[in-house]
Amino acid sequence: MGDVRLMKGNEVIAEAAIRCGCDGYFGYPITPQSEVMETLMARQPWEQTGMVVLQAESEVAAINMVYGGASCGKKIMTSSSSPGISLKQEGITYLAGAELPALVVNVVRAGPGLGTIQPAQSDYFQSVKGGGHGDYKLIVLAPASVQEMNDFVGLGFELAFKYRNPALILSDGAIGQMMEKVELSDYKPRWTDEEIQEISGSWATTGKKSDRERNISTSLDLDSARQEQFNHKLQAKYRAMEENEVRFEKINCDDAEYLFIAYGSSARISQKAVELGREKGIKIGLIRPITLFPYPTKAIQEMLGQVKGILSVEMSAGQMVEDVRLAVNGKVPVEHFGRYGGIIPTPEEVLEALEQKIIGK
Amino acid sequence: MNKVLDIPRVNAKNMTDKEFFYGHKACAGCGGSIAVRLALKVLGERTYTALPAGCMSAVGFIFPQMAFNSNAIITTFPGAASMASGIAMGAKALGQKDFKTVVFAGDGGTADIGFQALSGMIDRNDDVLYICYDNEAYMNTGIQKSGLTPYGTQTTTTPAGKNLPGTLTHKKNLFEIIAAHDIAYAATASIGYPQDYLNKVNKAKHTKGASFIHVYASCPTGWGTPTETSVEIAKDAVDCGLIFLAEYEDGEFKLNRNPKEFASIPDYLKKQARFKHLSDQDIEIITEHRDKKWSRMRKHWL
Repeated sequence: MGDVRLMKGNEVIAEAAIRCGCDGYFGYPITPQSEVMETLMARQPWEQTGMVVLQAESEVAAINMVYGGASCGKKIMTSSSSPGISLKQEGITYLAGAELPALVVNVVRAGPGLGTIQPAQSDYFQSVKGGGHGDYKLIVLAPASVQEMNDFVGLGFELAFKYRNPALILSDGAIGQMMEKVELSDYKPRWTDEEIQEISGSWATTGKKSDRERNISTSLDLDSARQEQFNHKLQAKYRAMEENEVRFEKINCDDAEYLFIAYGSSARISQKAVELGREKGIKIGLIRPITLFPYPTKAIQEMLGQVKGILSVEMSAGQMVEDVRLAVNGKVPVEHFGRYGGIIPTPEEVLEALEQKIIGK
Repeated sequence: MNKVLDIPRVNAKNMTDKEFFYGHKACAGCGGSIAVRLALKVLGERTYTALPAGCMSAVGFIFPQMAFNSNAIITTFPGAASMASGIAMGAKALGQKDFKTVVFAGDGGTADIGFQALSGMIDRNDDVLYICYDNEAYMNTGIQKSGLTPYGTQTTTTPAGKNLPGTLTHKKNLFEIIAAHDIAYAATASIGYPQDYLNKVNKAKHTKGASFIHVYASCPTGWGTPTETSVEIAKDAVDCGLIFLAEYEDGEFKLNRNPKEFASIPDYLKKQARFKHLSDQDIEIITEHRDKKWSRMRKHWL
């Protein structure tokens, strides 16, 4: 075992950033994720790895700093919580349009509006369907544990650079605030200028030498024909993500007659509900989407021959359930169960919802 | 520019007994809540109040215990001044005349994220009083540095230690930035000098067009001070010259308080946990900054 600690999810995001060789973090305070920047400031990684940590004057400023840093081929990230992520949407769609890799962390709280600081999963649509304007997609990773808060920082950057596309970690206030055992990643050095040249030299604005064409970071093309061509290219990239990057976890699915589909905190709760159900003799399984885009559509479809009904469990009024229904396409009943406004459901409630909405029907 | 007419001074005798901000859940000794309470006593019940995310909105709107006894609303974080502009215009469109629109925003909500909206509001000369209660950090989210956090302050995003004395930048010169808009009326104040503050609010109330008050409001939670010393410490800040009392009116600056001798800066700083770590050299930097500022103010504002 490596470096094992008991840490808060938000602290782990900060620690993982330093350890994965992140070049810069730009943030702005908002509950319940302020610990990310606070931990970074206390750790002073600029002394150790040279990583820049900067508190911006607003979320808009922070995401545009990300845009600037990402243009240079650096590993750049920001984090915020729901209202702040809403403010960042313009910058996020510009990043997607300019095909820039970057990592955004959303420690979701309940909305809409100012809402409350309690955890929720009501930013699914915003994250997965494109919260900003234009036809774009983010790579969306949904951690269900503090360990995954650690793991997905490195993975997020890896995928972001692989596809030249912003990646989003869609966490929530529960995982951000709770403490769990975590095995931290080993330190990876920050990329050298030579490595950046090698990895991102074809697009990053690293200072043009006489021996290469100019690299331009932009999301602007006023020529509609070229803009359409560019959008074709983006769509092809998103299809490639769907082909190659789907991640999910199947729990007790082999003999399952009923299925929970849940991500993040809800998956943890649903996993317990599976145990409770099985104690009562109900054959329940759980599919936990780890990537929300690309979505594990096929994994759900493969279960349709054996399951009698599916319950989508979310801390929202019913967002991911739409993607479950698209996957299922009417073949078996799909229902939604959610608590929201900052309320976390109990495993008993989840099981009861399955019994009432699916089994009892 | 509208000249503020001679208006009767506000004092304990003629001030209303009514309360417009009570039953809130602010920390004991909260200076921000004192600033809001006093201002609303002057502004009265015909007041529309807009508050962005921050301490006062967090502690004042815990449904069903609404602490505002007049119309009040929470705005987006960057949009307080804009919403106030909309309220003022909406009320005008409804034919209302005897009302005042006021914003209570913290230092971060004013000097950082809310600044663009504030600048636009003043530029249009919208009939809004904007009060910035300055407790020198984002206190509501857990004491993070803002553009108005002074040099040497320990916050959760500017920790003090071997390498750093806490915050490295001085406070933004907010009052002069606002005055540079050629605003109808602007003032600085401190809850440590309530008479002065009340009368500045009264002047702003009678100003037609945009007005602005930057009021220094202590925060025992964020500053590490005993709760019963909030008013005293806000007075100390003025007496040692780190906070100044001034006005901008008719295109002129006026220094309201020009002490012959300043009280001790170290005495003021040492009362607060957020400055506990400061070295003599840091205190020198702070003192130098104060002296430079005062020599400029005395030269031009007297």
